Formats: sequence, C-alpha cells, structure tokens
Amino acid sequence: MRLRMSVEASAAWLVCALVCIGLGEGKLQAADAKLKLEAQLIWATTDHQSPDPSHKPVDADILKKLQDLPLKWTNYFVVNRKIMEVSTVGPVKMAMSEKCEIEVRHVGNGTVEVALFGKREPLVKRTQSLPKGETLVLGGNAPNATAWLVVLKRLE
Amino acid sequence: MIDYDLQLKLQAHLDGELSPAEARGIQARLARDPEARALLAELTATTAALADFEDGRRLPESREFFWSKIEREIHRDASSASPSAALPWWAGWRRWLVPIGTAAMVALAGLMATRPGLAPEAEAELADPGAFTYRDYTARTTLVWLSYPAEKEFPADDGSDTMD
Repeated sequence: MRLRMSVEASAAWLVCALVCIGLGEGKLQAADAKLKLEAQLIWATTDHQSPDPSHKPVDADILKKLQDLPLKWTNYFVVNRKIMEVSTVGPVKMAMSEKCEIEVRHVGNGTVEVALFGKREPLVKRTQSLPKGETLVLGGNAPNATAWLVVLKRLE
Repeated sequence: MIDYDLQLKLQAHLDGELSPAEARGIQARLARDPEARALLAELTATTAALADFEDGRRLPESREFFWSKIEREIHRDASSASPSAALPWWAGWRRWLVPIGTAAMVALAGLMATRPGLAPEAEAELADPGAFTYRDYTARTTLVWLSYPAEKEFPADDGSDTMD
C-alpha cells in the first residue's frame, strides 16, 4: 500500500514538474516572441479636410480611441503609417516624418520600450505593456491650434 | 490401511452420531477388521484422556449466543484494522492535492506574470518637463502629451518645425 501511494505521489509530482517546465518554456517563448506594431503619425485639427490631399482620415477604431481622449480636436488625418516588427534582440528605429522618429524595443512579455525623437533629440522614453487592444498615443501641440500624434498599437 | 471415510465414521460411532444402520455396518467392519478395532481403541483412549482435562465449566448463555459475540468481536477487529475505512473520504486525495495545489499555484503565478494587465505598468523618462500622462482605462489608451514643440514657438505661417 505504501509503495503504491509513493508511486502515485511521485507521478503527481512529476506532473507538477512538467507543468512548471511547460510554463517556464512558455514564458521564455513569450519573452522571445516578436511583436508586430503599427505606428501612425497623425495630424489633429478641427478642420474637416486636410490641406494635404495625401492625408487620409484615421481608421474608425483609432478615431474612436482619440475621441475618447480629452482632446479638443475633432478630425484626425494620417500623415504616415508604418508597420514594424520588434523583438527582444534590439530596438527598431523608424522615421515617421523628416523630424519625427520613434525607436521601439520589445523588452519581453508584450512590453515595449518606446523612444520618441524630435529633430534627432530624445523627447521621451516610455516602457509600457502593449497587449492587443492597448494603444499608446504620444502627442503635442502644432501650429494653427492643431496637434501631432504618434499612435502606436499592436497588431500581432 | 484405513481410509479417511472409515476414520471419520469410527469417530462418529464413538461420539454416538451414526444412524442405527450405519452403526450396524461399523460394528460388522470392526468384527472383521483388527486395524479398525485398533483405531477405535486409540480414539476411545484419547477421548477419555481429553475428558479428564475438561473442567466442566458451563457457559451462562447458549453456545450460539456465545459464538455470535465472538463473531462480532472478530468483525469489529477486522474493520478497525483497515485504516482506509476509518479515514474520511477525502483522505485518499491528500497525496494528490498537495502536488496539484502546488501546480495550480505555479500556473496561477505564471498566468499573472504573462497575462497582459488591464492597467499596464509603465515608466517614462521624460526629457520634456512639461509633459504629462493620461490613462483611459475603458478605452485602454495611454496618452503622453508633450509640450514639444510648444505652439508659441512656431508661428502659424511657419510649419517648418512641427512634427508633421
């Protein structure tokens, strides 16, 4: 009887160990996974149309998020849109405009480190968890009572 | 050589347990079989010897009742000797509950560590002292508002230094 209990208990502990190993491996895989992100440079205005015909209105999901924020602008136009894949290997730097650059690094577990540069000068570096559905908006005022926004959201 | 059946019948004859017909048959066998007679004599001597050792004590109750008490004691001892019958129903699960509980705690810790949180942990190094952060938990949106480039620094007719 004691031997049988010992065998069963050993089997249970083995299952426990396998679960731990599986979780650890899953966590390592999650830490090493690549993230696919979308970065958009957006111009915010109260005008109904952008003077630049190449500017397109933002997608509905981004518009909804921006309208939920305490911003005074009503219309948002995409100046530039970039897709990037970031990993834990190293940061990815991408120019959103002639003066605006972002550098993104996956620090693991869906958390990214985002650095924003204006005219090559670092403005902000932020570390934030960015699961699907989470959006990070960096912004500032621009001439003519408008604003610029860099919207970062995770695609995969 | 006397067979086993005959030995039993001789014992039964000695105890007076045979029917009259069987008793007559045994008597006939004893008359012609000296080996059977010798065995009967031996059994008779043994019975007499054992009878001398009996103290003649009588039970205060019937034999059946006395035996039933012994039988109950035997069953009670047998049931108390079985540890599984005395333990509660969940006792058998204890050896499973400890490792399963440990695995569940590890799994929960792993999920908490890997699960994307509703309120993401964030830290910012701001080069812009006028910047602030706003978090909309419902929309799952974080806004970092910078004072760069300040509007007053860029006249309306000069968009050369804006981010766009």
